[in-house]
Amino acid sequence: MNLKNILSTLNNLGAEYISLREVRSRTINLSVRNEVFEGLSSTEDHGIMVEVMMNGQFAHGATNSFDPAEIVRVAEEAKKQAIEASRFSLSKFSIEERPATVGEYKSPGEKGIDHFHPAEPTKLLMALSNEMKVHDHIISRTASLYLTEMDTHFVATNGADVKQNIIRTAVGISATAQSDKGTQRRSFGDDQSSQYGLERFDTAKLLVEAKRVASEAMELLEAEECPTETMDLILAPDQLYLQIHESIGHPLELDRILGDERNYAGWSFVKPADFGSLQYGSKLMNVTFDPTMVGQNASYFSDDIGNLATKEFLIKDGLLLRGLGGLESQKRLNLPGVASQRATSWNRAPIDRMANVNLEPGSSTLADMIKSVKRGIFMQSNRSWSIDDYRNKFQFGCEFARLIEDGKLTKVVKNPNYRGITAPFWNQLKMVGDKSTFEVGGLSNCGKGEPNQVIFVGHASPVCLFSNIEVFGGGK
Amino acid sequence: MKALDSTYFEFFSKFILRDLKSDEAMTMTLNGEETFFARLSNAKVRQVTNIHQAHIDFNFIKGNKVMSYNMPFSAAEGDMIIALKKLNQAREWIETLPEDPYLVRPKFYGVTKEETLNILPKNEEMLGVVLDAAAGVDLAGVFSCGDIVRATMNSEGQFHWFKTRNFYLDYSLYNSNQKAVKSLYAGSIWDNNELRRNIQDSQHKLSLMDRPSKKVERGEYRVYLAPSAVGELLGTLSWGGVSMGAHQRGNGSLKDLWQKKKTLSPQFTLKEDYSLGLSPRFNETGEVSPADLLLVEKGEYKNFLVSTRTANEYKVESNMASDWESMRSPVVTTGDLSREDIYKEIGTGLYLSDLHYLNWSDRETARITGMTRYACFWIENGEVVAPIEDLRFDESYYSIFGDALERITNFSEVIPSTGSYFQRDVGGLRVPGVLLSQFKFTL
Repeated sequence: MNLKNILSTLNNLGAEYISLREVRSRTINLSVRNEVFEGLSSTEDHGIMVEVMMNGQFAHGATNSFDPAEIVRVAEEAKKQAIEASRFSLSKFSIEERPATVGEYKSPGEKGIDHFHPAEPTKLLMALSNEMKVHDHIISRTASLYLTEMDTHFVATNGADVKQNIIRTAVGISATAQSDKGTQRRSFGDDQSSQYGLERFDTAKLLVEAKRVASEAMELLEAEECPTETMDLILAPDQLYLQIHESIGHPLELDRILGDERNYAGWSFVKPADFGSLQYGSKLMNVTFDPTMVGQNASYFSDDIGNLATKEFLIKDGLLLRGLGGLESQKRLNLPGVASQRATSWNRAPIDRMANVNLEPGSSTLADMIKSVKRGIFMQSNRSWSIDDYRNKFQFGCEFARLIEDGKLTKVVKNPNYRGITAPFWNQLKMVGDKSTFEVGGLSNCGKGEPNQVIFVGHASPVCLFSNIEVFGGGK
Repeated sequence: MKALDSTYFEFFSKFILRDLKSDEAMTMTLNGEETFFARLSNAKVRQVTNIHQAHIDFNFIKGNKVMSYNMPFSAAEGDMIIALKKLNQAREWIETLPEDPYLVRPKFYGVTKEETLNILPKNEEMLGVVLDAAAGVDLAGVFSCGDIVRATMNSEGQFHWFKTRNFYLDYSLYNSNQKAVKSLYAGSIWDNNELRRNIQDSQHKLSLMDRPSKKVERGEYRVYLAPSAVGELLGTLSWGGVSMGAHQRGNGSLKDLWQKKKTLSPQFTLKEDYSLGLSPRFNETGEVSPADLLLVEKGEYKNFLVSTRTANEYKVESNMASDWESMRSPVVTTGDLSREDIYKEIGTGLYLSDLHYLNWSDRETARITGMTRYACFWIENGEVVAPIEDLRFDESYYSIFGDALERITNFSEVIPSTGSYFQRDVGGLRVPGVLLSQFKFTL
């Protein structure tokens, strides 16, 4: 569809600003359980969002009709709503909050939806499921694959014109072991979504991981319960993704700090005055917003209002510098932010979101970290998460852990959990792993907003050591 | 919007279904809405959005193979061409797929049509009344209204249609100390006075939050959980808690109840009850669930939710649950605790209006963690003393709805779903409040 032609027909509406954002998402999901094919789903979502500004108030209209007359009707409706709403505006905006960015972005993935055929991926998933068949106690062996391709075209009356094509994929596997000693699950890959296509799958590596998760699920069945005590805690990247997401990403969202999210996702313990003054973590803590990392899950050229995406430090040497908020929130708070006003699809208005929020590597090796611990625990792979609406008091559970005694990894323990409070926890960051421990992950299910929106985010992290953390296990 | 018209969906479906060959079968499911959303903060408008959307899901079977696909549906002429093109691609792909031993074939589950389309004031008029009633109050939340459609038709002639027009104001009010109360005004018949009363009632509750907060130390306390908090607990229980498939695959969280090694309190009865009228009885494939299905009766296991696919795999009887086997219209039966006796019966302990961000601490033992939120008070000798600072809890369902359950209120509240990921939800639940002899706080 020629968006520019439609935009030109909307010029006579007399609006202060109009943008059109067409989004087409095509997604494939395949899954296998216990070597039985569970389903192939091929979905498509395609529609257009019209944004109109009148009297400094934005209003949005969304339709999945591409009849030009219907789009004009939706634009007229949005104009009327903007005028009505402008009597009650929370804030007034201007064209300054809508940059006239022009450009294109294509993710590095080569084989997207048009290259998909079910035969080979089905064979791969069957092989992975079969590889997890290490013992009769493994009662559930799942392997799944998703592939999605999103095409976005954004044009606006100020001349903005941005086209983005993003392919994302991930393969997830899990093994559930059950005996009279209980049930334990081990998984891999669901947090590994990235902007590559079908070409990324390394069958040999995935088969190794499949065997490992099944063996570790069996190991957990025989393991002792995680002890309850305060001890040093080493976290692997596949747990730190969630720790970063929940206790750094969300509290730094400017719309939360402004109170827009209070009724749903919540507020934040961070106050506007904290930027430039709050020691969020120890001096070893450096966190960036980086939508420029090649291949990471939430990389892009511009956000959904046309703001050019750049890498920025959110926290440097532990000091809070910058929040996660787009141009509208930046204006309301008079604070610096980032290009992160994003929408889940064509049917939602853009709001402040995370993109790639990464903990930068430090200088310690994993061996150094383990050696430095007298009594501690090394936890891997998130399985549970919960945090309060100000993003202070959190609790996380992991799938797998090993105790550290006198500088050495010792026995495996099951049901490991830990809890803490955000700023004190990050100030207990004692060692940060070097590049050899650094891993890049991505999630597809960050929920937020009224109306609700779910969006792709990316997180990267090295292994980290925290001192004196409350650790506990399962059971009654 | 033509895409939300039953006659057109029926016409469109029949056109596509006529193209099927003798060894093919199909179920088509329509989801659509025309919705107005206003996102509110400080009783002002942050964003307004009008959404017109519909899509059709196709479940396509050939022989013993199955796949699903979907398409956006705008009732344009080109939709039929797109649907036939997608069907042809499905025919090509399905040849390469393995057979599905647990395949659920479409059957004729009857023809039903249910429409509740009361006339509502114009969107901007309702929003104006909301903002007028909240003038001078710090209100945050979302106002939503419009039409929602769920429908399904299959190649065996089954046709179910559900269309409803409703609204909700899901909001919270805040005082200068950032303490809040939460409320919901929802329904299908708009009443200006009822809305104003709802907001005034919340303002009154908020005045109780003006007292200085009390920091409660971690430990175990007597607790009253208001209906909204109980609703949160049921929501998480829907996450594998009452799913037969989840339990068979080792991911269930009430295994000991299912295996009759444990019971809950004899006061506790949980059922699916579609007489609530908030959710259609038919599931994604058009199967019609029983009007009333006991899950837990007087503390004992009766049924878990069983989809036909799970039934085929584990050789059990289906109760026509949805694919996810989550509760769609849960109801907890009431007890005998009257509203006026709640504080007195707490004695000294906590009154918790809401819980937040629940997740499992240990599924094996049904242990769950989460936070207190909104209007939560310290009660001493039957009197409200102070709002509390937020606390983290960690407790087992076997305690909450089992050993620690002292009393259940003699009233319950209907809580419609206000979820709107991808599209506005239908459904809801009806729950009472519960008084617990102990509830563990950990942070």
